[in-house]
Amino acid sequence: MGRLKKARFHLMKDLGAPALMGLAALKKKKRPVKPKPQFGPLLRSSGRLREIMTRHYLLSRYAEGAKPVAWVTSGAPVEMLRPFDFYTVYPENHGALCGAQKMGAELCSAAEERGYHQDLCSYARIDLGVCFSGKTPVGRLPKPDLLFASNNICQTVMYWFEVLAYHYKIPIIIFDTPYNFEEIKEADIAYMVNQFKDMIPVLERISGKVFREEKFQEIIRIARETSFTWGEVLATMKADPAPMTIFDAFIHLAPVVSLRGLPVALDYYRLLLSELKDRVDKGIGALVHERKRLMWDNIAMWYKVRDFSNLFAEHGMNFVTATYTNAWAETTPHLKEGSPFESMAKAYSLIILNNNLNHRLSLMERLIREFRVDGVVIHSARSCKPYSVGQYDLKRLLMERLGLPSVVIEADIADPRAYSEEQAKTRLEAFFEVME
Amino acid sequence: MMRFEPPSRREYIRDQKMRQGRRVFGVFPAQYPKEILWALNILPVEIWDPPVKTTRADAHLQPYICSVVRSGLELVLQGKCDDLDGFLFPHTCDSIQNLASIVNDYLGIEKPCYFFYHPKAHYGPSSRAYYLEQLRNFASTLGKRWGAVEPEELERSVSQGQQTASLVREAYDLRAAGTLGATNEEFYGVIRQGEFLHPDDFLPLMRNFLETSKGRSGSGSPVILSGVLPNPPELLRLLDELHVRVVEDDLLNCSRRLIVPPVSAADPFEVLTEQYFLMPPCSTREGSIQARLEYLFEKVERSGAKGVIFWIVKFCEPELFGVPQLVEEIKKKGLATLVLDSELHQGPSGQIRTRIEAFVEMMS
Ligand code: SF4
Ligand code: SF4
Repeated sequence: MGRLKKARFHLMKDLGAPALMGLAALKKKKRPVKPKPQFGPLLRSSGRLREIMTRHYLLSRYAEGAKPVAWVTSGAPVEMLRPFDFYTVYPENHGALCGAQKMGAELCSAAEERGYHQDLCSYARIDLGVCFSGKTPVGRLPKPDLLFASNNICQTVMYWFEVLAYHYKIPIIIFDTPYNFEEIKEADIAYMVNQFKDMIPVLERISGKVFREEKFQEIIRIARETSFTWGEVLATMKADPAPMTIFDAFIHLAPVVSLRGLPVALDYYRLLLSELKDRVDKGIGALVHERKRLMWDNIAMWYKVRDFSNLFAEHGMNFVTATYTNAWAETTPHLKEGSPFESMAKAYSLIILNNNLNHRLSLMERLIREFRVDGVVIHSARSCKPYSVGQYDLKRLLMERLGLPSVVIEADIADPRAYSEEQAKTRLEAFFEVME
Repeated sequence: MMRFEPPSRREYIRDQKMRQGRRVFGVFPAQYPKEILWALNILPVEIWDPPVKTTRADAHLQPYICSVVRSGLELVLQGKCDDLDGFLFPHTCDSIQNLASIVNDYLGIEKPCYFFYHPKAHYGPSSRAYYLEQLRNFASTLGKRWGAVEPEELERSVSQGQQTASLVREAYDLRAAGTLGATNEEFYGVIRQGEFLHPDDFLPLMRNFLETSKGRSGSGSPVILSGVLPNPPELLRLLDELHVRVVEDDLLNCSRRLIVPPVSAADPFEVLTEQYFLMPPCSTREGSIQARLEYLFEKVERSGAKGVIFWIVKFCEPELFGVPQLVEEIKKKGLATLVLDSELHQGPSGQIRTRIEAFVEMMS
């Protein structure tokens, strides 16, 4: 790592970034956002979230050459990288950002022009599109020194990251989490623990840093607390009315995904939690009139978050829980400093997408009960086979077992070309009718 | 060569049950230790491309799921697997993974469903230990219901597996050297019988095929076929008609799992483990692009292929991701490439024919 680049990184971190962001904030203040009448007051913490994520992406530009940079998948045990001081970038989080900024189609096309099929996951296509075109709403992404992927969310990330590894000619580590067709097995845990042990010398070599047990344990502690606090944040939506919507949670999810194990994420969720608790105490809801409570299944449709938020609010319907946002609160609170590898193996391989569909059904039933859900919106995401295959049966079973109405929207996470407004409108109208 | 008439699967299965007293498992793609099943007198019958019209599976699967999974599920839903004693789902891709869970958890099917996970991480010491353990666990799980695996039986079936691999290798070698007188359709017609024949029947079939087919291959443009499976037969017929000679393949259901070098070890589980880690690179296992390229170039080298056809099952993520980089590098070597994607049972359209014709011209 160059000394000059290191100095530049630290200068930006301590002085440059705060100054630039201060200026940006001043500009922002000139354009106050006026909430729609159906919504309660905006969350104050959102400003801090914006600051954190802007700073993260801003600094990432200076990380290249100053720190080892890793591109990481959303379900990977990033705690393994933190002791080696990697600057971590999450292509999925970045893909969501591109989707939300309506750049999904353009970036996907850039990958498609190079031969990547339109049927492939749009996070992957967006990321490859960024690699080929250099375009991104965050200015620039740092070139990675390492790729770190786990197939606990899908096998797609392995194929995608193999493409990146060949493109950049850099090492890749895949943390392989055997799928839990039934219960997790001792042999699976031992395999995962051994993989962690195999990784350490590789990470030491790439980063030039030595693994320190105490630092690692501290990171595990912070990561656990962060996930736990995120779980408490989500749990505030059990209140009636819920103090935020799942559309807010989609946005506030970013730190627990991409900054987990760092104090900044934990501090943020403490701030958000106290604001939400305060709202609950005062009876302030995300919607002024919350008539119905809904659950969202699957990843967000990033290009539609705002439109959907408005549409459902107009019907007095609030999303109070989602299988997606819950994923980072479900298992990582079980991390243990005393047995970091074993607990990480369990936490990362027991997440929703690495578990059988019976497990998913029970999890949904539990969330439906705890959050007193009246109906479910199921996003069938063309990009994401592990999340989507089985949803038609889920819909049937939720009706058979709980008498719960649901609707399936055929769409995509970040590529709006896979979404038909007409079809969604027809299905949603029918759903709204059933819900009345 | 002697034209080969395959037995009807249905009759063969019935015969195996009645006369041989074998149990029969429906096995979904792709890689699994068939030797353990043979040792338990269970016949694995693989479900890759059943010729069924899809009517019921659409109620369970979105339109963006591949037809291997769709037609496999259709077969189950139409009751065409009712004669089977169980199912096995190897962990091949996200779609098979979730299909396994739909069948096991949601459809109320009474038959036992088994799952076999093989390591995906870049192979290191932990993968090897895990795979060995997986084999032992698989044997003992099956043993609980179907009787314990007898060591001599396992040794015998491992040996039969090795004999099969050796005959398949020989067929591939002869074909690559231009000394196998079989059309593309005949070659795969025979090789793919191994997807359901017991080795007691497949071994003599392979021997016979080799004996009667040794000779000069026909003339034509030599190509490598890459993808999941050589289907539908109309494609192979079209290639034959256009004098395209498949001299090698990089197909998931053929060379990527059938071409296993000989291995010896005292313990049959160790043999199976060694074999697994010597299998060719594959997108569904350890599949770095570099390793796959080296493997393809090795095949080009030994067969004199002038081009590569990527014949992709529509919506197959494992295959689609690698294609652009593979194509780019293959082109750099001056070879022709053609990428086609198709539904399983959709015969090649006029447009595909035209594209193949143009591809052949490019090679000449
Ligand atoms: S959207 Fe689905 S397929 Fe794509 S990276 Fe995420 S989990 Fe994997
Ligand atoms: S064709 Fe591809 S996606 Fe379909 S089952 Fe086979 S490997 Fe999976």
